[in-house]
Amino acid sequence: MIQAIFYKEWIKLHRYVLLALAVTVAMTGYCMLRIDRAMELNGAAHIWEVMVMKDAIFIDSLEYVPLIAGILAALVQFMPEMQRKCLKLTLHLPCPQKKMLFTMSGTGALLLLLCFAANFALMLGYLGSVLPRELVCNILSAAAPWYLAGLAAYLLTSWICLEPTWKMRIFNILVAALIIRVYFLGSAPKAYNGFLPWLTLYTLALSLLSWISVVRFKAGRQD
Amino acid sequence: MTRISKIFLCLTLAILAIWQLPWCYAFLNTKAAPNRFIMYSSLLNDFIITGYEEGKGFIRQDVAGNLYTEEAVDSLLPMFYMRQLVADEAFPDTLFGVAVSPLEVQRTSFNLRIRPSAVNGPETRLYFLLESMPKRVDLQMPEDAFRFTDTGIEFIIMETNSVDAAKSGRFTQVLRDKGFAFPPRKVSGNPTTMKEYDNGYLLIDANGNVFHLKQTAGQPYVKALSLPENVEARHIFLTEFRDRRLLGFLTDTRNRCFAILSDGSMTETGIPSYNPETDNFTIIGNMFDMTVRISSPDATHYYGLSADDYSLLKSYEPASESGTHIPGLSFTSPYDRHVRPRF
Amino acid sequence: MTPVLECINLTHYYGKRKIYENLSFKVPHGRILGLLGKNGTGKTTTINILSGYLKPRSGECRIFGENTDNISPATRRRIGLLLEGHVQYQFMNICQIEKFYSAFYPGQWRKEAFYELMNKLKVAPRQPISRMSNGQRSQVALGLILAQNPDLLILDDFSLGLDPGYRRLFSDYLRDYARAEEKTVFLTSHIIQDMERLIDDCIIMDYGRILTQQPVKTLLGSLRRYTCRVPEGYTPQLPEELCHPNVTRGVMDFCSFLSMEKVEQILAEKTVSYSGLTAEKMNLEDAFIGLTGKY
Repeated sequence: MIQAIFYKEWIKLHRYVLLALAVTVAMTGYCMLRIDRAMELNGAAHIWEVMVMKDAIFIDSLEYVPLIAGILAALVQFMPEMQRKCLKLTLHLPCPQKKMLFTMSGTGALLLLLCFAANFALMLGYLGSVLPRELVCNILSAAAPWYLAGLAAYLLTSWICLEPTWKMRIFNILVAALIIRVYFLGSAPKAYNGFLPWLTLYTLALSLLSWISVVRFKAGRQD
Repeated sequence: MTRISKIFLCLTLAILAIWQLPWCYAFLNTKAAPNRFIMYSSLLNDFIITGYEEGKGFIRQDVAGNLYTEEAVDSLLPMFYMRQLVADEAFPDTLFGVAVSPLEVQRTSFNLRIRPSAVNGPETRLYFLLESMPKRVDLQMPEDAFRFTDTGIEFIIMETNSVDAAKSGRFTQVLRDKGFAFPPRKVSGNPTTMKEYDNGYLLIDANGNVFHLKQTAGQPYVKALSLPENVEARHIFLTEFRDRRLLGFLTDTRNRCFAILSDGSMTETGIPSYNPETDNFTIIGNMFDMTVRISSPDATHYYGLSADDYSLLKSYEPASESGTHIPGLSFTSPYDRHVRPRF
Repeated sequence: MTPVLECINLTHYYGKRKIYENLSFKVPHGRILGLLGKNGTGKTTTINILSGYLKPRSGECRIFGENTDNISPATRRRIGLLLEGHVQYQFMNICQIEKFYSAFYPGQWRKEAFYELMNKLKVAPRQPISRMSNGQRSQVALGLILAQNPDLLILDDFSLGLDPGYRRLFSDYLRDYARAEEKTVFLTSHIIQDMERLIDDCIIMDYGRILTQQPVKTLLGSLRRYTCRVPEGYTPQLPEELCHPNVTRGVMDFCSFLSMEKVEQILAEKTVSYSGLTAEKMNLEDAFIGLTGKY
């Protein structure tokens, strides 16, 4: 049964996931290439100095990429469910509805995380060879809240998408925007380090919200 | 599940409200803080306050309220307004019986600002040790960076991202021989070529002892500095001022502030209390006196110190002008660069 | 025996607009019940409540004894649901959708029933549903329900958007299936053609109320259309039992469950000067229009 749910989500998402993977990996690769070029032109020492003294991380252009990837993933996955209320079919299947919903969002989140993991693997692979662990940690720790924001954006967009009424949807969008702001409050490397485990737990808990939308959908809420 | 989800949503809304509402209130009600500049004048033996005051325009006065003209202020703070006085051909030849020249003033004047956000981190914990006796006149950035580990110091050649084992071993050995306990608690240096000379690093080791580390002719120079009685070192700052009188400043666990002289000895300054973790510290000094501004979360203090022995000459606390503060939640703070919830 | 489907005192409003009050009906095992009504009389509302996607203002519905508020997966397995407009996952093709659904109905899924129907459609196995015509889509939805082999079928306006051929195909397939396998069917429709061939019982709804609820045979056996001549310029003012009187060029018609004698008596009481009163039987569509009116 779970396989079947995964199968349906995969049909919706596979093209998007491959595209997102290609685009995010390409953007990450571009950032790595820029570091490589800068090291060649200015010398590794200069890059190290700028990173230590000025907190440069050289991957600033990735800041909103995971966020956009997350929002789009949820739209690609849940818009077809809301189109002509297809969700009714999904919830009518003989599978506990919570299991159904959380398997659906779990599938999307998992595919998104795989895509993000590929980004991190690329960064770790390249940076680990040219930079000391302190600077690799600086870069990855600065990127971590952005990628976490991507996951949060995915879960929040699912919540917004599944909400049956527009009034509430707009309210949800405002709340989601504020929540997302929390992930972009500090640009210093390692700024989130202590808070990150808690923020991760909170982000995972955001998956609860789409259940509220489903409950409202089941109650037949209308504008 | 439905109930848990709803409680979670309500909690989220509550958190967002206590985060955003005070921020909105503050945003709408913030008035520009009066921007005033306060300096200690040895000639007046008082503080001179300059700046805009509402309804009065630009004012220049002392603590008692006596008003001064612009020219009067220039000559009461001759070290600070030296260039203006020279241009007006009003710069004195002697002050307090000491011959002064613009060159001398330039050499002996300094200023330093230490922000809590720089003290509280986060830090990268990677440092650059310059050669303090370079063959050429100009300082040069090194080819390697260094880090401290639990057992030693490690130099990494940047071009190859590989550890220079020989140099690391050499420095580790000397540090150990001098009684240094790894890893250090505090490391302070100014790894830049935009300075006149290099004094390396001031370190507080794992046992709380203070060391001075630099590189001279490629060799490690390590000196253990002795702390005054009953002083437990907390923070340390390397200064590298032009006149070379000072090595740096040190604060202890009781927020006392010490000047570390170039010979390594320490003198307690007249600053009653300075906590680098919460207070903004500014010092503007010259050959006769220093003005120290310490602004803590609840008050701002000004201290005039003697340049001879760092003793307190006069202090001044302007009336606090902080508006009503709305309690709430925030994630960032002016005191550090971490992002985490705090009330 | 408990009815397969039962609604008790169902009341629902959208905001202040009343849909209906105290609607009650039952569908016993093996019967096909049609909920007939014009657009906006609450047919889809009823289906939504029945399938658990709308909380009624008051009252409750039960399917196989379970409140439709919260139907268990085991019971949902026994219910086939057709949404208005034959909605199905647009992003799948027929192979994918069959593979997907089959996983949820182990032991009862009849793959051949689905493909039997699909073979009659001229669609490529890899053609996504989004690129099918309404008629083709209705066959996919029907095929899925037949393959699911549920004990109860709930169909929301299956005739919507179908041309006559597909409508006939759909209803014939459905009838044969339900009759042969003793399935219970609850359906709604606003197109009455073909219903006569399909449904056993009917509920005819008007705005806010039920007009009649009885087996189709009984309905068609007792409801008559009456015609008579009336003077030019006559404006009918008749009691409710004589439904929707309509005068065209001196001829008045209305329908009623009352006998000829009773109708004559009422007309006499109302001092209508009529002549040539005749009564005739009607088909279901005429009966529906007769009861609900043309407007």
